[in-house]
Amino acid sequence: MTHNDAKVAFFIAHKTIRRGSKSVVLLLIGVLSLVFFNLLFIRGFLAGFSNGVLISMIDTSTGHIVILPQEEPVKRGFIINQQELRNEIETIPGIVGTTRRYILGGAITFDKNKNGQSQFVSAPILGANQIEDKKLMTIKNNMAAGEFPDVLRDDDIVLGSNLAGGYEAVQSADLGGATVGDKVQIFYSNGYNKIYTVRGVFHVVIGFAGNNAYISDKEAERVLSTYNQASEIIVRVDLDRHPVGYYVQKIKTIAPNLRIEPYTSRLAAIGVLIDSFNVIAVIIGLISILVAGATIFIMIYINALSKKKQIGIIKAVGIKAEIVELSYVFQALFFSVLAVIFGTLIFYGLAKPYLTANPIQMPYGPALLVISIEQVITSAVSMIVIAGIAGFASSRLISKKQIVETIWG
Amino acid sequence: MIRLTNLTKIYGDEIKVIGVQDITLEIEEGQFVGLMGRSGSGKSTLLRQLGLLDTPTSGQLSINSINTVLLTDDEKTAFRLAHIGYVFQEYGLVSEFTALENVYFPAMASNKDGGKERAVKLLEYVGLIKRLHQYPHELSGGEQQRVAIARALINNPKIIFADEPTANLDSIGSDLVLKIFKKLNKQLKKTIVMVTHEPSDKTFLDRVLVFKDGNIIEDTHPTGSVQGPRKKILRQTYI
Repeated sequence: MTHNDAKVAFFIAHKTIRRGSKSVVLLLIGVLSLVFFNLLFIRGFLAGFSNGVLISMIDTSTGHIVILPQEEPVKRGFIINQQELRNEIETIPGIVGTTRRYILGGAITFDKNKNGQSQFVSAPILGANQIEDKKLMTIKNNMAAGEFPDVLRDDDIVLGSNLAGGYEAVQSADLGGATVGDKVQIFYSNGYNKIYTVRGVFHVVIGFAGNNAYISDKEAERVLSTYNQASEIIVRVDLDRHPVGYYVQKIKTIAPNLRIEPYTSRLAAIGVLIDSFNVIAVIIGLISILVAGATIFIMIYINALSKKKQIGIIKAVGIKAEIVELSYVFQALFFSVLAVIFGTLIFYGLAKPYLTANPIQMPYGPALLVISIEQVITSAVSMIVIAGIAGFASSRLISKKQIVETIWG
Repeated sequence: MIRLTNLTKIYGDEIKVIGVQDITLEIEEGQFVGLMGRSGSGKSTLLRQLGLLDTPTSGQLSINSINTVLLTDDEKTAFRLAHIGYVFQEYGLVSEFTALENVYFPAMASNKDGGKERAVKLLEYVGLIKRLHQYPHELSGGEQQRVAIARALINNPKIIFADEPTANLDSIGSDLVLKIFKKLNKQLKKTIVMVTHEPSDKTFLDRVLVFKDGNIIEDTHPTGSVQGPRKKILRQTYI
């Protein structure tokens, strides 16, 4: 195959497209555009779903990084001097903010019918500063009842809907429907117990935050008889600036003895889910690409079959079969490139704006189409390559026939 | 010169159909040869072997001293491009190309300069200078066939094979095409081998080969134009 052969093939392809049936060309480009759009949409939707789940977990449970008390050389129950540590961490460029939490073990009881038949539920009780917490977490945006005040009084409590019960709870044990104004009693694991008034119930579908109860950090310190300590520190970072590993390393230099866990390892179970979605996305992507290839193959084959005699005559006058095949490859590439352009335009020009304006509500929030430029480019290249192969294979079936067979057969 | 030695073409594997059988023949440079006979007599089959469009079952075919039987498919394609012009009964023009493009695209494939200019001259030669940019469907049958002739000439081959080029034409178109062939034969010394059914075409031909059942049963020279050494060779070969 010489440069001149390619020139002749391009000449044939160019003239064939320009003078060929406009309706066939439009149909082919239309079908392939939809195939490519479908490829982007499915990938984007599945990635959006897994991304949404992940973001929901980060927003309601883990943040980007969780700092835990030291385990070596001496295992400690709390992080000490948490305020000084957080102040130092917040000087790292790219750190959005930090918040500390106390995690107290205990059993919550609620006598819904005031008949002495209380429900006992073991639950994590989190002591947090809501003014700090709301800057980093989104639990306050998910209130099912009541409110989540910035400052909780000593006897205020906010319950997760799974714990409270009555909100499509998925937990087998709940309080049977505790709601705003109800009194619940907590028996802490250190033997202390106290009655709290429910100020609000939040509803988080994704993750385990819905099993928790919130009290103020000051109340937690009073129960635990501690000061300026924390069971964990939640850190939010700017991931556009650096990957999470970068921040983990920076924090480790400040607090080498503490356990620093990025959300990627903290949410490893979610990672399995995301990986599964990615596998599904890849499989669907492959199927879409194969559909595109088959579509091009069939349409080019029909086109070449209808011009079988003409192909035979072109060969008879001395044009190599390879030139004929390359001319069809050029045509397939032309159709696929246009399909990629139109499919991308439909995706970014119609589907994304439409879903932004009219979001489909998912358990974690509105469905988003998440796809990176690299994934769009990979999909486009796959589509174009498979189109070229399909164009070659289909035309070869015709061009490799004997001239006598193609002209007179 | 075209030389065939015991050339046979048999179609089919289980049920064998003889296309042509044991043909031994020489065609001199510059001859205008007609292949005649009834349908199925073998004349078109022979023309396809001569044009390297088909592969003979056995025998030898030498064109310009090259044993074409030994050529690979790619070599045959290159040989056709450089040495052979082929004119089809149904013109065989590319419907998406204009008359001019139909003529010069084989020149593009041969990578010779000036293909377009040569195509214009050839279309002028066949009387279509005003139809350069017409598409095949905008031309009459006779005009399409003249475009096909111009295409056959674009790489300046010494040999032209024509398969019933006037079969689909009216008498005026047919006459025009035959006159072009005669002019090519006389002025440009092209060797022309043409399949025809029309007895009246004999007036244009130097030599007529009549076929029956895959064999040549008659080899005549209606115009009596064969002279000198050519006559001698023919005598040695056929008489």
